[in-house]
Amino acid sequence: MFGQLMSMILTEDFLFSIIRITAPILFAALGAVVAEKAGVTNIGLEGTMMISALLGMLTSYWTQSWVLGVLVAILVGVLLGLMMGFFYLKLKTDIILAGIAVNMLGSGGTIFLLYMFTGMRGNTGSLSSANILIPTLDIPLIKNIPVLRSILSGHSVLTYVAFLCVVLVWMLLYRTSLGLNIRAVGENPNAASSVGVSVNKIRYIAIGISGALAGMGGAFMSMYYSQGWNSGMVAGRGFIALAAQAMGRGEPVGAMLSSLLFGLAQALKNKVTGLTGLASYNYLVAGIPYLVTIIGLVIYAASTLRKVKRRKAIDKE
Amino acid sequence: MKDKRMTMFNFVRGAAAILISLAVGTVFIFLTFALVGGKSFGDCFKSTGEALRYMLVGPLVKKSGSFNSMGMLQVLAAMIPITFTGLATCVMFSANQFNLAGEGSVMAGGFVAALVAIYLPMASGLHAVVCVLIAAIVCGLIMYIPAILKVKLGASEMVTSLMMNYVIMYVVLHFLNSAFADRSKGSTQTFPFLETAKIAEIIPNGSKLSWGFVVAMVFVVLTGLFMYRTRWGYSIRMIGINQSFAKYSGMKVGGTIILSQVLGGALSGMGGAIEMLGRFNTFLWKELPGYGWTGVTIAILAKNNPLMVPLAAFFLAYLNKGCSLMSTYCDVPSEMIDIIQAAIFLFFAAEQFLSGYRQKLVVKNTRADLLKTAEGRKA
Repeated sequence: MFGQLMSMILTEDFLFSIIRITAPILFAALGAVVAEKAGVTNIGLEGTMMISALLGMLTSYWTQSWVLGVLVAILVGVLLGLMMGFFYLKLKTDIILAGIAVNMLGSGGTIFLLYMFTGMRGNTGSLSSANILIPTLDIPLIKNIPVLRSILSGHSVLTYVAFLCVVLVWMLLYRTSLGLNIRAVGENPNAASSVGVSVNKIRYIAIGISGALAGMGGAFMSMYYSQGWNSGMVAGRGFIALAAQAMGRGEPVGAMLSSLLFGLAQALKNKVTGLTGLASYNYLVAGIPYLVTIIGLVIYAASTLRKVKRRKAIDKE
Repeated sequence: MKDKRMTMFNFVRGAAAILISLAVGTVFIFLTFALVGGKSFGDCFKSTGEALRYMLVGPLVKKSGSFNSMGMLQVLAAMIPITFTGLATCVMFSANQFNLAGEGSVMAGGFVAALVAIYLPMASGLHAVVCVLIAAIVCGLIMYIPAILKVKLGASEMVTSLMMNYVIMYVVLHFLNSAFADRSKGSTQTFPFLETAKIAEIIPNGSKLSWGFVVAMVFVVLTGLFMYRTRWGYSIRMIGINQSFAKYSGMKVGGTIILSQVLGGALSGMGGAIEMLGRFNTFLWKELPGYGWTGVTIAILAKNNPLMVPLAAFFLAYLNKGCSLMSTYCDVPSEMIDIIQAAIFLFFAAEQFLSGYRQKLVVKNTRADLLKTAEGRKA
């Protein structure tokens, strides 16, 4: 059985699937990174992904254009982010509670919206067709290299965008004045405010960007990954993204590495579920990605704690 | 005078939040009729009115105009699990811990209780109590995990508890589908509970209003007493208000946080167990039942005060029943409740909602006070 598993894992196909599975988590994790840098915990990523996924999918169906679908998904993400921002910054709702409210809209509200727009219940099975899904892309040079070809080439456009976003978010945070402001506001809002930075404005922008990234993650889910929308589709990826952000120490590259780890766990789950000898353990295996998330978070927290203690010990000497 | 004005303000504020939420709901219902039904404008208004009638007064009044006693009993029955999860969330959030594993605890509690109810024969009466207690203990232990990780390592209790919901769900599903499955049935379920373990209805008429309701109300009082009349409850609330202050005044912060989470887990587990034994004959939940999230809404509505939980639970149970009636008779999806709930949630938790009005009240109060002291001096 182990041998069977190993032979399955060490394939180009498997590595390809890791990248594919990582992309939506990465989008949301980057969203979490940007928000957290501004001192905002965006727990509403999960719901944002669900709503963006639905409206993006529907738009691409109505307009028969996947580009418009993705744009609407992003727009919806931004609007949801700004809505959370409005309640958090203007009406002083606790940000965690605002996020939970968005998640409620994501889990039940989407089913309602789907019915409202189409009269369908629970999923959009009959809507999806190849021309409204996000197309795949062959990378010019890599597509000629034997092994890399089947791992790195042929992903959907948004998959490449996800990894490109790691660079973009890093540049945003560390190479622009907006990024400097975002970090300042997250580090010490009072200090930032005292030098004339509008804390609320920066936080609105950060949570808006966070929503946009989650929106892309949602579009990826419905318009490529599951090729349609259904009510259990996001399945905690928004929450896993929060863990990826924490494990990645709130940095874009770190978040990418942790997202890849969760992608690996998920891909492994998908493979093991397919093994005949393990059929009776399918449900336990399905829980593995979530368990890995907890374990990853614990290891990260423990290592940070040890570092802090060591630093304190050095200070004492 | 002063208190009266502020109470009035809180009442008006709550009512405004609920009204806004219902208005949002109404807009969506109207849109549903307009988009799906393809009816004329006037018909849409008529149908919306009809749907609203089912949602708002349906559980109370039958279509014929007589009192819907069965509907009300069902609403009370639906309060049982969410009262428990509401209490659990109150206790956990009071310590300022955003532990969201209530959802998983309900499922785990229901499953553990189901297993004890099937496999451990016992005397009638005692059996149900043992089932519920074991479920509570197991769920308390489960909740110990995010609590200890938070206290010892500083790992976010929110993320670990969210992930635990999924882990718990899959573990339960695994056992439901393997070791404890009743293969003779078409659907995935366990064997039926022993009769001794079932929690009887108060009035045997099929409303599912079991004695669990009484237990829930007893726990409302107990939790209220615990939070406001004991040392531990005080510590929990103090830590929630100002953790550093609590620490420097000598409270055991870590232990108290763990205590609050374990209690929260135990309460959620009890809720799941009582719901399971009072409503069903066999375990057949195939996904997280959603009571944990409703519990969060209830805690927000009750402002973390256990004694207000029954009111909030009643409101949500009523609304839920109304929504399901609406979906049965008017073809509007019952998920409407999530939209209304989210809106209520946002406005209720919004500290600055109607703050201009509050400001005016404060000014008024202060003026009145000043006037009084001035008059006092003259006299």
